[in-house]
Amino acid sequence: MSEFIERAKFACALGGAISTLTALPKVVPIVHAAGGCAGYLSNTYSMAAGYKGSGFCGGSMLPTSNIAEQNIVFGGEDRLAEQIEHTIFALDGDLYVVITGCQVEIIGDDSISVARRYRDRNVIGASTPGFLGNALRGYDSVLSSIVEDVVEPAGTRDPLTVNIFGAVPGQDVFYRGNLDEIKRLLGLIGIRANTFFATGENVASIKSYGAAALNLVLSPAAGIAPAERFQEVHGTPWLQTELPIGPSGSAVFLRQAGEALGVDRITVEKAIRAEDAAYYSFFERIVDIYSDLDLQRYAIVVADSYYAHPLTRFLANDLGWIPYLTAINDIEEADAQAAYTERFRDISSETKPLIVYERNAGRLLEIVRNSRPRNDNRKYYDALEPAYVVGSVIERGLAEKLGAGFLSVAFPVSNRVVLNRGYAGWTGGLALVEDLLTGIVASR
Amino acid sequence: MSKYSDGLTYGFTESTAPPVRETRIGVCSAYCGSCGDLIDDLVSGCAQLQARKFAQSGGCQLTLALGIVSSLTNVVVIIHSPLGCGSAFLGTGGMRKTMRMSKGKRDEDFVWIHTNMDETDVVQGGIEKLRGALLYAEKEYHPEAIIIGNGCVPGIIGDDIDSLALELQGSLSAKIVPVHCEGFKSRYVASGYDAAYHGVLRHLVEPVQYNERVLPDEGRDAMERYRISQTVNIFNVGSNSNSDEVELSRLVSALGLYPRVLPLHASMEDLAHIGDAALNVSICATHDDYLLGHLKERFGTDYLIDTLPIGVTSTNRWIRLIAEFFHLENEAERLIGFETRELEAALAPFREKLAGKRCYVGGGELRIITTAEFFATSLGMDLVGVKAHNIDRFVEELLENLHPTDLNVTVGAGQPAEELNVLNQLKPDLYIGHSGANGWASRFGVPNLPLFGQSLNYMGYSGAYELARRAAKVLKNTNFVKNVSRNVGIPLSRVWFEQDNRENIKETEKAG
Repeated sequence: MSEFIERAKFACALGGAISTLTALPKVVPIVHAAGGCAGYLSNTYSMAAGYKGSGFCGGSMLPTSNIAEQNIVFGGEDRLAEQIEHTIFALDGDLYVVITGCQVEIIGDDSISVARRYRDRNVIGASTPGFLGNALRGYDSVLSSIVEDVVEPAGTRDPLTVNIFGAVPGQDVFYRGNLDEIKRLLGLIGIRANTFFATGENVASIKSYGAAALNLVLSPAAGIAPAERFQEVHGTPWLQTELPIGPSGSAVFLRQAGEALGVDRITVEKAIRAEDAAYYSFFERIVDIYSDLDLQRYAIVVADSYYAHPLTRFLANDLGWIPYLTAINDIEEADAQAAYTERFRDISSETKPLIVYERNAGRLLEIVRNSRPRNDNRKYYDALEPAYVVGSVIERGLAEKLGAGFLSVAFPVSNRVVLNRGYAGWTGGLALVEDLLTGIVASR
Repeated sequence: MSKYSDGLTYGFTESTAPPVRETRIGVCSAYCGSCGDLIDDLVSGCAQLQARKFAQSGGCQLTLALGIVSSLTNVVVIIHSPLGCGSAFLGTGGMRKTMRMSKGKRDEDFVWIHTNMDETDVVQGGIEKLRGALLYAEKEYHPEAIIIGNGCVPGIIGDDIDSLALELQGSLSAKIVPVHCEGFKSRYVASGYDAAYHGVLRHLVEPVQYNERVLPDEGRDAMERYRISQTVNIFNVGSNSNSDEVELSRLVSALGLYPRVLPLHASMEDLAHIGDAALNVSICATHDDYLLGHLKERFGTDYLIDTLPIGVTSTNRWIRLIAEFFHLENEAERLIGFETRELEAALAPFREKLAGKRCYVGGGELRIITTAEFFATSLGMDLVGVKAHNIDRFVEELLENLHPTDLNVTVGAGQPAEELNVLNQLKPDLYIGHSGANGWASRFGVPNLPLFGQSLNYMGYSGAYELARRAAKVLKNTNFVKNVSRNVGIPLSRVWFEQDNRENIKETEKAG
């Protein structure tokens, strides 16, 4: 059973479903729920994900059955059917996806069957009530339906094509930039990557995803369910991997993908060397200021499991910051926590980070304070300083109280506008260095 | 004082939850036609029985209810629901900070907690999780009040949050305030304001108990009574800015009265003194008739619910009605004369730029009608249509004053498909709309201006000037919407644009 959460950094499953679908060009969600759910949840991600906006058919444009109290009593299936028919008339979509809210699931509407009646008009359905869990469950649910109902069985497999799962639009504020870079990375070693949401992809291209030889899942918490569904329906295996940030993470990622797809090691190592060289030819610019001003910081990372380890590894292994504390907010099971903690064995700094699992945002300040002896007005005190918090915008308060630098990367990010920025790959590593250090020199 | 609320009764605070507005006030939430037809259909009652075949997302009363209570000082909000309800705080938490700073109030982290109801809770109920969240809020933050926003899931499965609140009331130092704002219960989302104020009235508005003075001081007592007799409570709303409050307070002060702005961003202490006033003045009936009606019952405070002071005509009217209550008619005329003379001269250059341009206004009923009137009357713009979230008794007279009678009127919260269809026919030069709608106007290539804004001044005379200034500013360069409309698509079909919006309206049996 789940627990209450203070300042949860996720919307519900329906919110994740809406954010996912509105990130796909010419896909129209049809929200079978009370009238406010659709626009409200869309707005959460429109605002809090670096102002990603409504998308193709989000925000107030979202079609909804707008059910009310009388439907709760008598059922809302007829109303849903009416809404589907009129949506197809009013909105031009390549795909219509019926998704559901809590109210209609509790009363037992069979929304997916209603959607199936319109299968010949590109309508599919997914069950996504808020009580299913957080936004990642909504992403899993709609992508599973797309995998089953939209991705077509492929006659032949392309051994050098992969599909990418786990980058959840909105929940990963930088998903577009990240996915574009991941495509580029894999392209360096001759692998074609399908990502659902990267530039240029659409419903027609998604139909051909069945030809992939492998599915890569970037997150430990999202994308596994649709990858498993993919395996059941299309027989394609999947591999757990990680969001690659900067040189260390990207090299691990390329070696993992290359090995899984049988790309020869020389090609992979050549690509890594070339990218490292390019990266450091830019990175060299900050060597003087970093050294003269001592820009090394104690790093406090507060993020979901998608970002927490990749960010920590970048800060510790690539930038040379001291990984002091990493707090992860979305893993509850003890076994899963232990497995995730194992990932930090690759942190190569002399000091290893303290790993904590804390779902309540307000508890972090106390955790940091309790992590070392208190000052107690001592004359000589080894303070946690200079420190830098990399988290979500909610950690701005934590950073202020600690007197630390601050950059928002994990959702929510409402203090930055994000367009094509991403932190994946070597390119993203450079962007991250720029953003981190700009925060330090901004007042000069 | 307030003919629009004639016949409305209050006295609901004995119940745990307020009635929804559909039953309490009556509402039209779906209509496409002319202003004249709408007035007729409201009278006959058929306007209230319309719904849509193709519906798009409107609002949720939980959003509005939480918007009110989350502004209060030193509170923790618990959202008893799955994680989606209230999740927009992730994007708007910073706005609360901005607003508090603009009002010079102490910065404080806004804390909200989700009970995070899951499938198990749907079956077994979520009361124990709510208990855990209440205890956590008390222990970690020691707030003065803990507000529980009740979502659809506990509403449908029947979690008894009121019994839990009653049980814990004595053992926590915080006051526990259940707010029944389950989204499915009302399509008239302003019901959420009633839900919020219902909770505030039941749990947070307690008259201050004064002790007798040790040394009697009649002079001081008299001064205090005098001050209260000249105090005007101005009831603020989530969509007004601090500069609006400053301007309205300035105008009330200019009459020699003492303005006090409530209840948003108020402290518990402020709320305790809410009854210490001679007159409660609304700036938007959609927000607060429920609160003002009940305050009249509890404290006997008269109230004024009339227009929203946007634009010259409405601001003048608002001042006159307040002045009338205090028999300050002459003072009011002097103030109005002085202010309008200055303002009219200041508006002249904008009138020159804007006169004859076609404008369309969409959003909340009172705000759009008063804003539209200002653009038409004071700036000489050609008003081509309005779109209201809802229409109820509070705007009937304002509607009758809208010209011409064949003015295009749409009623619906959200519904950008219908709105763009209208814009396509009417081709306005300027669109003024509610948040969430302006982006679609931009994609459609229509220059636009937000209908409200947290850091912008709209109300009073200074607001009228700002509104004109900003309208003229938008038209100084329209390349943004041109570029966007050429390069970013909208999802509406060709056949949709060929259909008359009235085709999308259907009759229902149940009002609302």
